[in-house]
Amino acid sequence: MNYRDPKLRDLLAGEYAMGLLPPRARARFERLMAGDAELQRRVADWQERLTPIDRTAASVSPPRRVWRAIEQGTLQRSFPVPPESSGWLQSLAFWRGFAGAAAALAAALAIYIALGPGPARTPTVLAVLADSAGTPAFIAMRTERAEEVSVVPVRTQTLQAQKSFELWAIAGGPPKPLGLVSATPDRPLLVPASAVVTAGTVLAVSLEPEGGSPTGLPTGPVLFQGKVLSE
Amino acid sequence: MRTDTSADELQALMRGVVRRDRAAFATLYDRTAPQLFGIALRILRQREEAEDVLQEAFVAVWDRAASFDPERGSVMTWLVTVLRYRAIDRRRRRAHLEDRLGSEEDLRALTAAATDEADRGAGLAALQKCLGELEERPRSAVLLAYAYGYTHEELAQQLATPIGTVKSWVRRSLERLKRCLDG
Repeated sequence: MNYRDPKLRDLLAGEYAMGLLPPRARARFERLMAGDAELQRRVADWQERLTPIDRTAASVSPPRRVWRAIEQGTLQRSFPVPPESSGWLQSLAFWRGFAGAAAALAAALAIYIALGPGPARTPTVLAVLADSAGTPAFIAMRTERAEEVSVVPVRTQTLQAQKSFELWAIAGGPPKPLGLVSATPDRPLLVPASAVVTAGTVLAVSLEPEGGSPTGLPTGPVLFQGKVLSE
Repeated sequence: MRTDTSADELQALMRGVVRRDRAAFATLYDRTAPQLFGIALRILRQREEAEDVLQEAFVAVWDRAASFDPERGSVMTWLVTVLRYRAIDRRRRRAHLEDRLGSEEDLRALTAAATDEADRGAGLAALQKCLGELEERPRSAVLLAYAYGYTHEELAQQLATPIGTVKSWVRRSLERLKRCLDG
């Protein structure tokens, strides 16, 4: 697709604002949008055009417990949180310190998991994806929003031009595509926990043509993989 | 979106939230939560899930307040956006299609509300007029997708129309709405 065509850009922005882009197209569009102010503007314009439809929804007072949960969830971090940075990034720095030392990592991981999810909002490591030599390359962690899992490289991975890393969940049947995962640690891929969190599921990253496998199944070599250890 | 809460008031509250003013955050919630909860309920049609999504959305609002850009649009639109994508994602993760589809009655009520001649604010009146210029079934597709979070597949099923046709309905409708609203 030619993402420079203004008409196509506007159409995709509209479909995105509608919520109609299927997950992979949406992930692609969001990556595109991240570095493209003009596209962000188009999406914002569509949101403004369409949001009057929201006004046709009847207002309903939510129960008080919702606010109590919000208060609880935000009080613990009543300090400015810069975008893209929250608790788990700090633990990411921890993991990076171990990168390359698979044995140490595994030991640390065992302790980490033994400690369990811990108090609210402690990120939980679900899987470490390693290359064939056992060097950790990606980690999957439950984020503070517990129904999402964040997948991110422990450090920048080498990726050829016109190629993408695609993440898959394998649990018995054919691999299920979870989206494209960045080669750099600054852009975690967020996937629904329900797609990942089953002990024994294998997470794998394959090398695919840019934009992901055209077939819905891995077409390139699986470079990294790891088993989901526990909740 | 309640008429008694002006856009200016929401802007001021939002500036407070950016400064980490918890009282402003509480007031922002009080002013906007009922409308947002209604939107989440319409997409999810399940109270518990709508409560979860409302909670997640406001935690995200607190965390990401600094990323709100008043140049890009209103506070309410931003809040709706934060909530709506979450609600739609949650809806899509449900395993069973029948848990997701709304009824014919829902659609009729929505179409009536969205094309009602009664003035419910300038933005809605303009959009109502432009929606009214679309043919009935493409209009239904746009409304079901936006208000209920239907996917193309679900639209095809509900409107008993091939998916390719539904996709082009939506695209053509978006083009026409844009021309009508911006023109």
